[in-house]
Amino acid sequence: MRWKTVSAIFFLVVFYLIIGATVFRALEQPQESSQKLAILAQKLEFLAMHACVNSSELEDLVKQVVSAVRAGVNPSGNASNQTSLWDISSSFFFAGTVITTIGFGNISPHTEGGRIFCIIYALLGIPLFGFLLAGVGDQLGTIFGKGIAKVEKMIVKWKVSQTKIRVISTLIFILFGCLIFVALPVVIFKQIEGWSTLESIYFVVITLTTIGFGDFVAGEKGGSENPEFLNYYKPVVLFWILVGLAYFAAVLSMIGDWFRVISKKTKEEVGEFRAHAAEWTANVSAEFKETRRRLSVDIYDKFQRAASIKRKLSSELGINTALNQEMTPGKRALSCSLCEDREAYPNLTLSLSPITGRLARNGSLYLNGLSPDYADRREVAIIENLK
Amino acid sequence: MHSVGRSWLLLTGFVLFYVIYLLFGALVFSSVERPVEDKLRQDVEALKREFLNQSCVNAASLERFLLKVLAANKYGVSVLRNASVASNWDLASSMFFANTLVTTVGYGHTTPLSDTGKAFSILYALIGVPFTMLVLTACVQRIMHPLVLAPVGLLQRRGMQPRPATVVHFVLLLAVVVLCFFVMPAAIFSVLEPSWSFLDGIYFCFISLCTIGLGDFVPATQPRQKYRQLYQVSVMVYLFVGLMMMFLLLRTIHKMADLHGLTTFLQLPRCEESDLDDARKPIVEDRHEAQTPPFLTEKEASKPLEPGSQPSYNTINTG
Repeated sequence: MRWKTVSAIFFLVVFYLIIGATVFRALEQPQESSQKLAILAQKLEFLAMHACVNSSELEDLVKQVVSAVRAGVNPSGNASNQTSLWDISSSFFFAGTVITTIGFGNISPHTEGGRIFCIIYALLGIPLFGFLLAGVGDQLGTIFGKGIAKVEKMIVKWKVSQTKIRVISTLIFILFGCLIFVALPVVIFKQIEGWSTLESIYFVVITLTTIGFGDFVAGEKGGSENPEFLNYYKPVVLFWILVGLAYFAAVLSMIGDWFRVISKKTKEEVGEFRAHAAEWTANVSAEFKETRRRLSVDIYDKFQRAASIKRKLSSELGINTALNQEMTPGKRALSCSLCEDREAYPNLTLSLSPITGRLARNGSLYLNGLSPDYADRREVAIIENLK
Repeated sequence: MHSVGRSWLLLTGFVLFYVIYLLFGALVFSSVERPVEDKLRQDVEALKREFLNQSCVNAASLERFLLKVLAANKYGVSVLRNASVASNWDLASSMFFANTLVTTVGYGHTTPLSDTGKAFSILYALIGVPFTMLVLTACVQRIMHPLVLAPVGLLQRRGMQPRPATVVHFVLLLAVVVLCFFVMPAAIFSVLEPSWSFLDGIYFCFISLCTIGLGDFVPATQPRQKYRQLYQVSVMVYLFVGLMMMFLLLRTIHKMADLHGLTTFLQLPRCEESDLDDARKPIVEDRHEAQTPPFLTEKEASKPLEPGSQPSYNTINTG
């Protein structure tokens, strides 16, 4: 891709970001301020209800609780029925979110050792997952390609054009994949997690594009569900993430392929167009040059003839009349002969119209009615200009 | 059929290895983090008990209050007195959010609260993520030539063999990227953010540039941060350029793997140069390495490889 295209797309992305920013601001800021007001009201109410608590103590407690929650400890409820956030299945899930680069963030390492290990783990794990994704996506693509080939064989009997078949098969692929990897999980999550439809779709999209905010995480219910169910649930979710990611990657690469093909075709077409245009321009300019050359030669010839005739005339009529600028019969005869010539060369007059116009206006051969003595210099000048 | 069977075998091998790797990670994380978590939980319990003992508050109302506070805090709304008055959704912060959405980093320190916001995020991400990936790949393709192909060519002209030349160049590139995009920004962050250590800075840089984006560390979210908008915009720029460099590194590794025969051995898709290759090369077909390694011949990214492989303008109507 050329620099211009790249920078154009880049500015498009920046513009897209700005649009997103304004829309998000318009949508979210009112919500945020109402939340702020609500929680402040809650705090004041609490303080009012329990008069023995002073504001700073409460703030202290809240600060500690918030940082504890960020470390993953939920202080609500009592200590007995708490499941750890770092038992094997949750750690497994966390490792999975690190490798797939989703990174929910509801759990994150807090020890220095944990963080360093996380870095090294991700360094090795992400390429590994990349290979896996490539392999799975490839297999998915092969399976689907075989299915589509069969469908195409059926459709070809109906004598539909190749591109239509291609488009239809891609649509089928996208629809089928959406059904299995998006619609079905949405229903399941709605059922198990108790989210609304929008929230389930939101979770599925945010997870499968590996954005992974972490405001909704499958399997976060913690102590309320029975833990054995969770132990099976989370690995299944991880498996779904793997296959769903492969599907999304396949769709994206298909879109990328299309774009590449389209851009190549466009490049070819544009290149072809440019080649034709260049050819045409070259032809036209060559023709034009040729015409000008012919014209200049013609004019030069004519001037030479005129000059020789003039000399003959002046030698016949005597030197006195040569300085007379009026139209002598000889000159008139000359201009008439030129007129005849003009008819013989219609193209010449057309392209030379400004010059002949000027010549005709003064009714004489020379521009600005100069004396014949300057004729030679003017001839040369005109010929130079024509060249 | 043999190759198909082999590819399935390889795939199963990969999946198995992946599962084992995950288990290993789970074990290590669990053993490292769990004791700390337990201790923290005990501390918070003690704090709560202390608070309840001292005051007239009963446990139930405290629970209710804490739940509400935590719910608000999840969305970035803080109840603390000295919390910044700056909104989480002013223009620069919203742009920061949109950027984390579109680069798939997704910190999660602020998330859409309203239903409309969530629906809009879905649409925005579905369009924006492929678009950003496209832009990044396009940029990487362009800078691939001056940063990778030209130096390797230079090294080869000095007399090195292709394989060691690529390795040497890769090590150099890696060192430069680590220095400029991990060490330096980490130092800057540890200065600008009061509670971050240098290790925290490196951890943040790594987690962000791999687009994992856990969200436990997010810059420019401290209350009373000076020049917050400028800070956020510069972090955005850093993320974008850093992501580009990571993509570049990945592409270089992929090309190196192509050159050293790893991708054909593991039957993975080859690294494609979309402006050179006409059709995507089939994954399994050539077991033996090509005569001229693709790395070398793709030296000048603007020239076509073989004139016959590129459709010339004359053949468009027939092709």
